[in-house]
Amino acid sequence: MHFLTNMAAPVNNRSDCWRVPEVYKHHEQQRVCISRPKYREGRKAKAVKVYTINLESRYLMVQGVPAIGVMTELIQLCALYGSVEEYRPLDEYPAEEFTEVYLVKFQKLTSARAAKRNMDEKSFYGGVLHVCYVPEYETVEDTRLKLQDRRSYIARAARSRAKQREKTEATQESLVLSEAPTSSDKISTSRDVTSRNEDTGEALSLSHYSEFPPLPLPPQEHCSFRQKSHRRLVPTEDKMGTLHNAFYNVEQQQVDSLSSNPTTSNREQGTESRLGPNPGSGVRFIPRITNLESRKRKVEESGEPAANVSGENEPLIGPKLPEAAKLDMEDESLNTTVGLIRSTMKQVGSVPDLKTAKKKAKPRRRI
Amino acid sequence: MSSTEAPERFEYLQSLVTEFQDTDSEEAKEQVLANLANFAYDPKNMEYLRELQVPDLFLDMLTEENQNFVEFGMGGLCNLSMDPECREVILQSGGISLVTNCLSNRREETVLSAVTTLMNLATPATRPQISEPGILQCMLRFSLAESPRLRNLAAVFLQDCCSEEQVRQAQQQTEGRQTAVGIPLPKE
Repeated sequence: MHFLTNMAAPVNNRSDCWRVPEVYKHHEQQRVCISRPKYREGRKAKAVKVYTINLESRYLMVQGVPAIGVMTELIQLCALYGSVEEYRPLDEYPAEEFTEVYLVKFQKLTSARAAKRNMDEKSFYGGVLHVCYVPEYETVEDTRLKLQDRRSYIARAARSRAKQREKTEATQESLVLSEAPTSSDKISTSRDVTSRNEDTGEALSLSHYSEFPPLPLPPQEHCSFRQKSHRRLVPTEDKMGTLHNAFYNVEQQQVDSLSSNPTTSNREQGTESRLGPNPGSGVRFIPRITNLESRKRKVEESGEPAANVSGENEPLIGPKLPEAAKLDMEDESLNTTVGLIRSTMKQVGSVPDLKTAKKKAKPRRRI
Repeated sequence: MSSTEAPERFEYLQSLVTEFQDTDSEEAKEQVLANLANFAYDPKNMEYLRELQVPDLFLDMLTEENQNFVEFGMGGLCNLSMDPECREVILQSGGISLVTNCLSNRREETVLSAVTTLMNLATPATRPQISEPGILQCMLRFSLAESPRLRNLAAVFLQDCCSEEQVRQAQQQTEGRQTAVGIPLPKE
């Protein structure tokens, strides 16, 4: 059992400071509003309520958990939305019969937000979860950090919006002034506008993460270039509030800008013939990065001025492909997540099937 | 609502403001006000809300009879005041005194929003006004409240928005009083 040790202690030293925690009004579900006109009816019926930073917290309370010993499964579910720092059952909180109540403390507010959004009103092992924020469990320091984080996030968003505005205005000016605008200017303008409008989360650079699945990176022993490459592990969150270490590679950016080059069609065969398989790896897939690096080297050796293979300041030709998601496939947390998912699948699969699991091999007619 | 269509977003927000101004139904006004206050939570909307003069709309709500109007308006200001440009607009419209008056509101959410908003409005220029003895004494009382949220916010205010000396002076003034004159604690 994992216990919360740094709860906000009551200031007064009254003897009843160990009383049952108050059922705060903001924990209760309010009645849903049914009188909204169509144009402002949301997808889901909601109560009339205003959310401020004071109502949110990285502390969540989960009610309605069936009392059948599924605490681990609950926490595993929570962990899908971000790191869970602490958790404990709230035995002292009034609960419906045969259900339990849990307090879950997330490392980040965005994780708690995602967990609440996704778990509230969802069924869980036969029960329905009610998830709400419980900011009253914060310490003074928790509250201060929450406000500071919120302020700096808003300030960052404001700064990036101002920058985008300047860029758009500058580009529009140059578009007006010049007679034949280059395609790259147009592309960068439209990207600016879309990225300005698309980004919601704090990690603005990961705006495309949810749209395109990451390409598999090669196993570690295969690529010596990874040691050379300048990389930083940046703990970041995607839109879902899931924490992961984003693989932020300076050279990767070069590669992405080069990926618009359409000559990588037969890279696997081409590179194998050029580079040959690396000794001792037995892996056939040669990454594009290696391919382009080798081409770059060859160009530099031959002394040709390369239109495509140079630096980051070259104008883009053609549509820019989206950047591959910067995900560190070596990170352990991915295995943990996979393990959690697998064990959940196992449990689901352990319910006996009505049909037999194995398909009988059909006798084939030989002609 | 799609996040990529900026002009449609602005128009939607505009239609909300228009409905608020045109409708006679208190219920509809409350719903729209809550909508606007919630939209104010997303930084993407802050610029449009500013253009639509929604900060002033929220400030107007603080002196209304309807307590839902006050609560939602105060919540909207709490959300908007995190943004530096909105903060300026609120300050220019005399926001500090209007928000300070909400410290004596009977609803806890309203008071919490007011305390947070005052903290957001604290700049080097406004600090003298924000750390006036009356406000500090109020915060001292709040720091002894039963509500953990109010206690925490008041504690952060006293630690971040004024000097220890100012807090000490306010404390002495509070202790010197015989009767509990001052700003009552809000009821849930």
